[in-house]
Amino acid sequence: MKLTRRTIMALAACSTALIAQPFAASAQDLPRNVRMVIGSNSTGGDTYQAASIVADALAEELGINIKVDAVGPSEAFKAVGRDSRGTTIMLHHDQSYLANLYGVPGNPDPFEGYVVGPTLTINPGNAYLVPKNSPYQSMDDVLQAAGDGERVRVAIQPGGVSEIGFTAMRNAARMASPGSEENIVAVNTGSQSDKNQAMFDGLADVINGSIQANEQFAELPEDDQKAMRFLWITATQEALEQGPEAGVGNLTREDMMQYAAPATTVPMSESEPFTFDKEFFLIYNQEMDPAQMETIDTALATVFENEELNQRLLDAFFIPDYRPMEEAAAHLQQKRDDYATVIESLKAPAAQ
Amino acid sequence: MAIFEFLTPMFVFLIFAGTLVGIIFGAIPGMTATMAVAVCLPLTYSLGLDNGLALLLGLYVGGISGGLVPAILLGIPGTPSSITTTFDGYPMAQRGEGEKALRIGIVASLIGGLVSLAALFFFAPALAEFAIKFSYVEKFLIIFFALTVMAALSEDMLLGIFSGFLGIFISLIGVYDVTDGGNGQYRLIPPGTEYWLESGFSLLPVLIGLFGLATILEGAEAGMPKGQSLKDIEVGAHSRFSWSVFKGQVANLLRSSGIGTFVGILPGVGGSAASILSYTATKTSSKNPDSFGKGNPAGIMASEAGNNGLTGGALVPLLSLGIPGDSTTALLIGAFTLQGIQVGPLFIGNNPMTWDSMIFAMLIANIFMFGIMYFAIRWLAMVVAVPKHILFPVILMMCVIGAYTINYGIMFDVWTLLIFGIFGWLMVKLRLEVAPFIIGFILGPSAEIYFVKSLESFGTLSIFFTKSWIAMLLWVLILGSVIGSALLARRKSRERAAGTSG
Repeated sequence: MKLTRRTIMALAACSTALIAQPFAASAQDLPRNVRMVIGSNSTGGDTYQAASIVADALAEELGINIKVDAVGPSEAFKAVGRDSRGTTIMLHHDQSYLANLYGVPGNPDPFEGYVVGPTLTINPGNAYLVPKNSPYQSMDDVLQAAGDGERVRVAIQPGGVSEIGFTAMRNAARMASPGSEENIVAVNTGSQSDKNQAMFDGLADVINGSIQANEQFAELPEDDQKAMRFLWITATQEALEQGPEAGVGNLTREDMMQYAAPATTVPMSESEPFTFDKEFFLIYNQEMDPAQMETIDTALATVFENEELNQRLLDAFFIPDYRPMEEAAAHLQQKRDDYATVIESLKAPAAQ
Repeated sequence: MAIFEFLTPMFVFLIFAGTLVGIIFGAIPGMTATMAVAVCLPLTYSLGLDNGLALLLGLYVGGISGGLVPAILLGIPGTPSSITTTFDGYPMAQRGEGEKALRIGIVASLIGGLVSLAALFFFAPALAEFAIKFSYVEKFLIIFFALTVMAALSEDMLLGIFSGFLGIFISLIGVYDVTDGGNGQYRLIPPGTEYWLESGFSLLPVLIGLFGLATILEGAEAGMPKGQSLKDIEVGAHSRFSWSVFKGQVANLLRSSGIGTFVGILPGVGGSAASILSYTATKTSSKNPDSFGKGNPAGIMASEAGNNGLTGGALVPLLSLGIPGDSTTALLIGAFTLQGIQVGPLFIGNNPMTWDSMIFAMLIANIFMFGIMYFAIRWLAMVVAVPKHILFPVILMMCVIGAYTINYGIMFDVWTLLIFGIFGWLMVKLRLEVAPFIIGFILGPSAEIYFVKSLESFGTLSIFFTKSWIAMLLWVLILGSVIGSALLARRKSRERAAGTSG
């Protein structure tokens, strides 16, 4: 074959088209290879676990590849902010807006500059624990102690999910006895192991933890330095009711209910208890084609009708929680505003 | 028999494949065991727990061990934990004893791996109980002890310590991360660079920049040297490797394996501290400390037994408390959570089969690691005979790929590689010292966190002296190390003075 200029041009055009094909077949089609960045650096945590489970099902439904990358919140926001082609999407949970509310640098407001997408699942495990031999038998004891002038040290990771329950405790203490919230003090720690270690060292009276990570410690005998006891589970009753009856380890669903509202109550207002369900949802680039977002929404609706995905989530102690994009954005905005009110109100001086 | 429920041909094959891929990852500058495990983690769900763990543990053991190959042959640590292997391994390779150095390293790796595995198998719960006695204070003192090594590793003590502090200073650039218990605020970031420097400089690009790119730049400046000819390299029967090299080194091997295991069981101290501490312990207790850094086989033994000792040690807190001992075991937790299994204090008792399968997988992985590397050495050792004008571009490409992929595709990491490559090249000209600098850079962030947390928790500096008997013991070791280094420096300067006057 003679290589004319026209032939070369035609070959070049074909090659370009072939190369470009995986990136964009048509407007509403997603790229063949999608990167799901998550707001956690850990591949051992619940964010990676939830992302892996949902990404597997979504990839199969859409016939594309989805790779989960644990890059952490700041890098995830940067990555999704750079890419409007739909090649990069982000999965994170309430931490994304809580960190912004608490003013942690590098955490933009996901409701501004990004599109908040569908909710996917709930981890109902957020909990607060005390050493097994602690004098505090309930949250009322903790609030009472603060009211009596006793200093209660709570180990948390500042600026997010770990802190919101702590904020709620301080808010409740203030409601019960203005000024007593100053007696509930944060011990800033990092990972779950740091929080546990703070308890083992006697540096914290209460620690933030989770049902999944701390349940085995709650099974240990009282004379063990590592033994813990659940005091409060922040999840809503509705979320826990949807979880497996057998619960996690020795902690059945019924047991969990005893540590959650309404059995254990930390008031948020005169009429309402504070609750917190850790919800996982998608975040998109603001310029991403709405048709691509719609494609993801439709595919998620299909996969969440599938018993296999729901069962896989439940097996890992996640509650399926699919809400289409619009509904999810409104729900999360409302949730954010509620927590913003509590956080803001604590900044004002207490009325004695 | 119950053992055959998991010990299937597939199980053994996956360990073999994992170990082989791990060695390759470890041997390529810029690729690490952590990266190998991260890449293969998503595969484990479909493989099932036992088979998935077999693959990951093979990758872990192989990845940690593979790092010695470029450390010895090219002077570039394949992984952060093999930095100290370069100190004596590379001078040996330059003398044409690359194969001998590799064999020493591999045998030491096997011993380190097996000693730590035995510790894991027999004493895991007891060691975990001991590990939780280490609060912020004791962890800071261990890091401080490891930092005193800077003085022992310096050619010029004053410049060495300055370089070390410079390393600490640069390591602290970036956010004081909330995930470490910090306040999330930026510090030491020049205005306008927040977007790039928010997370600071990543360790791996800094490491391969200082050791890899800087070497290439030096080579470019001096004019590309020819590779050693095959005649210069003592391979096969000429390798002069004999088992007698281990004579009198049993204490060194056991001590280094023990230090590696011990550092492994302490979460948050960091894997690199294992080889740094065991290397220093060997150097300071040697009758001839001057020979270290110039190709002393005992240095390779200490470093490799130390970093492989970490493998079993780091699994102790993981399986006994659900706390990972290092960055790679943090990824292993993912394999459990993907299968819906929680690791915690009851894990071993509740999952005896998985526990057994992990011990067997580690044992088999160590044996495979030894077999694969020991018999591939002859060909590996010939890498140094590849002409530098071919070898250097290949290394450079691997360094760039490694830097780009370490944090899942961040371009600033490639710029970090370039910045620290040039900085490493300039350091030699300014007579600054690379080894103390990198040790300061690695240990700086942990030192800061544990120091600040100790003060936050106890509110007084005296707590470092009064916290526990472990703290007092660590002070004795710190003082010993400082005095030892000072004496060594004095002897060196006397010898130098005698040499000048003579």
